[in-house]
Amino acid sequence: MGAISSFSDLDRYREKISSSTIEDIPRVLICFGTGCQANGSVKVAEEFERIIKDKGLKIGVDVGLKSTGCHGYCENGPLVAIKPKDILYLRVKPKDVAEIVEKSIEGDDVVERLLYKDVNTKEVIEKYQSIPFYKHQQRIALRNIGEIDPTSIDDYILRGGYSALVKALQMEPGEVVSEIEKSGLRGRGGGGFPAGRKWSSCRNTDGDVRYVICNGDEGDPGAFMDRSTMEGDPHSIIEGMIIGAYAIGSNHGYIYVRDEYPLAIKNLQTAIDSAREMGFLGRNILGTDFDFDIKISRGGGAFVCGESSALMRSIEGKVGEPRAKYIRSVEKGLYDKPTVLNNVETWANVPVIIKNGAEWYSQFGTENSKGTKVFSLVGKVNNTGLVEVPMGITIRELVYDIGGGIPKGKKFKAVQTGGPSGGCIPESLIDLQIDFDSLTEAGSMMGSGGIIVMDEDTCMVDVAKYFISFLVEESCGKCTPCREGLRRMLEILTDITEGRGKEGDIELLEELCDVLKWGALCGLGTSAANPVLTTIRYFRDEYEAHIRDKKCPAGVCQALITYRIDPEKCTGCMVCARKCPQQCISGEKRMPHTIDTERCIRCGICKEVCPFDAVIVE
Amino acid sequence: MAVDINKIDEIISSHERSEESLLSILQSFQRELNYVPEEGIKRLSESFGVPESRIFAMATFYKALSLVPRGRHTIKVCMGTACHLKGGGLILEAIERELGVERSGTTKDMRFSLETVNCVGACAMAPVVVVDNEYHGHASPSNVHNILKKYE
Amino acid sequence: MEKIKFIIDGKEVEAVKDQNVLEVAQENGIYIPNLCSNPEVKSSGGSCRVCLVEAHQNGRMRLVTSCNYPVREGLEVKTETPLVKRIRKGILELMLARVPDAEVVVELARENGIEEPRFKKDEGDNYRYKCIACGLCVQVCEEVVGVSAIAMLNRSYEKKPGTPYMKPSEVCIGCGACAYACPTGAISIKDQGDTRKIWGKEFKMHTCSVCGKPYIPEAQIDWIVETTGKDRSFFDKCPDCR
Repeated sequence: MGAISSFSDLDRYREKISSSTIEDIPRVLICFGTGCQANGSVKVAEEFERIIKDKGLKIGVDVGLKSTGCHGYCENGPLVAIKPKDILYLRVKPKDVAEIVEKSIEGDDVVERLLYKDVNTKEVIEKYQSIPFYKHQQRIALRNIGEIDPTSIDDYILRGGYSALVKALQMEPGEVVSEIEKSGLRGRGGGGFPAGRKWSSCRNTDGDVRYVICNGDEGDPGAFMDRSTMEGDPHSIIEGMIIGAYAIGSNHGYIYVRDEYPLAIKNLQTAIDSAREMGFLGRNILGTDFDFDIKISRGGGAFVCGESSALMRSIEGKVGEPRAKYIRSVEKGLYDKPTVLNNVETWANVPVIIKNGAEWYSQFGTENSKGTKVFSLVGKVNNTGLVEVPMGITIRELVYDIGGGIPKGKKFKAVQTGGPSGGCIPESLIDLQIDFDSLTEAGSMMGSGGIIVMDEDTCMVDVAKYFISFLVEESCGKCTPCREGLRRMLEILTDITEGRGKEGDIELLEELCDVLKWGALCGLGTSAANPVLTTIRYFRDEYEAHIRDKKCPAGVCQALITYRIDPEKCTGCMVCARKCPQQCISGEKRMPHTIDTERCIRCGICKEVCPFDAVIVE
Repeated sequence: MAVDINKIDEIISSHERSEESLLSILQSFQRELNYVPEEGIKRLSESFGVPESRIFAMATFYKALSLVPRGRHTIKVCMGTACHLKGGGLILEAIERELGVERSGTTKDMRFSLETVNCVGACAMAPVVVVDNEYHGHASPSNVHNILKKYE
Repeated sequence: MEKIKFIIDGKEVEAVKDQNVLEVAQENGIYIPNLCSNPEVKSSGGSCRVCLVEAHQNGRMRLVTSCNYPVREGLEVKTETPLVKRIRKGILELMLARVPDAEVVVELARENGIEEPRFKKDEGDNYRYKCIACGLCVQVCEEVVGVSAIAMLNRSYEKKPGTPYMKPSEVCIGCGACAYACPTGAISIKDQGDTRKIWGKEFKMHTCSVCGKPYIPEAQIDWIVETTGKDRSFFDKCPDCR
């Protein structure tokens, strides 16, 4: 038994730590999400520490300094928030730190050049919550991320953590299940299966051993909300799983984490260890007779392992191949025992639902899709990052109000949702509500919540080819339609994008889609047709342009485009000629240059380096 | 190349003796020996009583594992959707030209192994190149040389 | 054993609960083409997808592989609907392009109206002889023989059965069960004189003391003796002379 051995112990403990933390001292929260770290937030944090110490201030007494999980606004990292004033500084560099300390910690001022400035209105915004990117959000699953140090269980407890567990342990397990059922929570991993119904089927299946699993094998390209949660608020997942385990009668849990997420694994392990020390995991949790513990299982780099039956095989130490789900995993899952598997975001929602009640939760969202959803808004959009909004928000609100529209004044073309299992939704459906059912009707799906924005420079045939080649690589190869069908689709799509497309190719693609949709063994295969079907459905003209005119209207497909230099714009600065790896650009200094298209490999470097925008792709 | 059998045994014995540990032991081989050596599979098979063929199959299935030694540094070019839209493919090609190796290859001097990865979850910085565990965001074909030069 | 009733192609039939649809269909004289399942191998089936049928249950219809779909009360199965035929044909066309030399597949494809696939037939690096990568050989070796000399390697269209490092296996006993089970005859097994060659390994065959015919690999005898405790002298004579 750990440090906290009864329900009332937790309140006492929370009181104790809250009296020793001073809420009104200035606190600096530095984002240590992957994006901000890559942009140098570690150096920024070190600089804060150095300068604060140099000034003779004591960290933790005079000034708080904390590294947190991802704030979501990755585009503008490294992000630094100053509390309690709620100032948000963007793109902070070590050289800015002295000024921040002077003005916003010691003084009562702001460093204006580091504040958010609206690209369109040029308005400067100081407060975190007033920035459009945050203003429209409703953060439930992400409630703690960016506010707490993910390696500190005290931080989590101070924000009310583990009180949902205390509440749940005083309820009957069946009541916990029905609370989740009533909340309308649907699985956030892709399929949207009602979580409560899953729990209840598992609970009602006979068996001596039951398992709970957290699917952290976030594989959809363009989705990283689960990474953020695992890295930035691991205890909310753990607390959710403990509650789930209590509800269905399980003593063993697993978190399966994608190999590509080392920081998530580290922070989860730290969190599990401290939860065990505190008595939230292990034997006789909080003095009850309920035992539960969690093991982390690390993936090996296989997208198909996000499929639940493949994931379970992988935990068992086998090749991660899916199996037919004619017998559901709530009856025969891990080691053929009844198993509840939910994804990271689903588990992270559980404690809040128990704490605030199903009714509170179901006020958000739509009739059939309750609550909020975390989306990763990426691609050709101004404000990229993670956002959490109520279900039912429209694509337009997401892309324009929160995302700030398309960069460089380009035209919006489509959003891709649902990863390789989803599809592309065109501009004509921009007012579509985003919820499980509407997306499915439009031929796509929710998936894990990746929203990839595409503009006029995106070739939709290329996008379809991209997803199919992704799937060809990730197919496990067990069943014929997926193993053989996908590679044939890739052959056809490659032909089309390289100018060898012929009449009948679109129809043949549609036939193959049909075979996959009906014939494949698992969800990876049955949904693999969606990227192709939706692009054919909404952008058939682009396919036809490739096939009939041998043209790529968006100027993407390398075999169908040529690079040339606009003699009007070219100043003869020679930058492109120097950078060209083929040395196929010629011309006198201060005279317009030309590209030898025969030797050009269309690497794009000349276009990238030209300071005058003189390189044209046709 | 001689393989350190003691190291192999050390890795095996530092894990719980359960089939659940197989993947994570293979990952440790990869991390500490730069690949999954044949001797490693043999020792693991003997000590766990799991058929060699099954362990070998895992090593061929999971992308994080390699049967041949990888270079001192691993370059992962992200091929996630956001990176793809922002020119990830052109970056891969630029690195292939720079190093003279193709995707999944290793340079002759064992300095680099070049791989692709299907999204590293850093989409906001697309396109992304990860070298060892360091993320380089907003990469472009013309700056790959600068990204790579510091890795010896 | 709980008996249940369900409908297959409009006919009510009786079966044991959780028996698979394919088996019940065969018992009732209904033909469903199939390749990768074998009643002797519990984990087999579900991969070639040739035996797809429509399963109607609880107001929902989906295509399922009859070889491993458990029959339950209230189920209705349709084996020859336009949907079943269309998808089966598509699968066979894909399979034919992959293994154009596998007679069984050529024949099945022809029965379903395909003479030539519209895809480029595999050759060169993609040539897989007759193997449809169904995994039955591996399942037999593991479950029936208990040796696990081979496993399904790689993923996607590179998937294939093989020994570790494609070297002669140290544990293979040369029994040939994999080759006998293979639905497309893709595994090469060559008996010549008193030598058998399979998976790149040669086995010395034991000769029958009566008829003088080499009939079983010595390694297989060793394996049986070791695992079952059977007396070695039992193998002096071949099954025909015992």
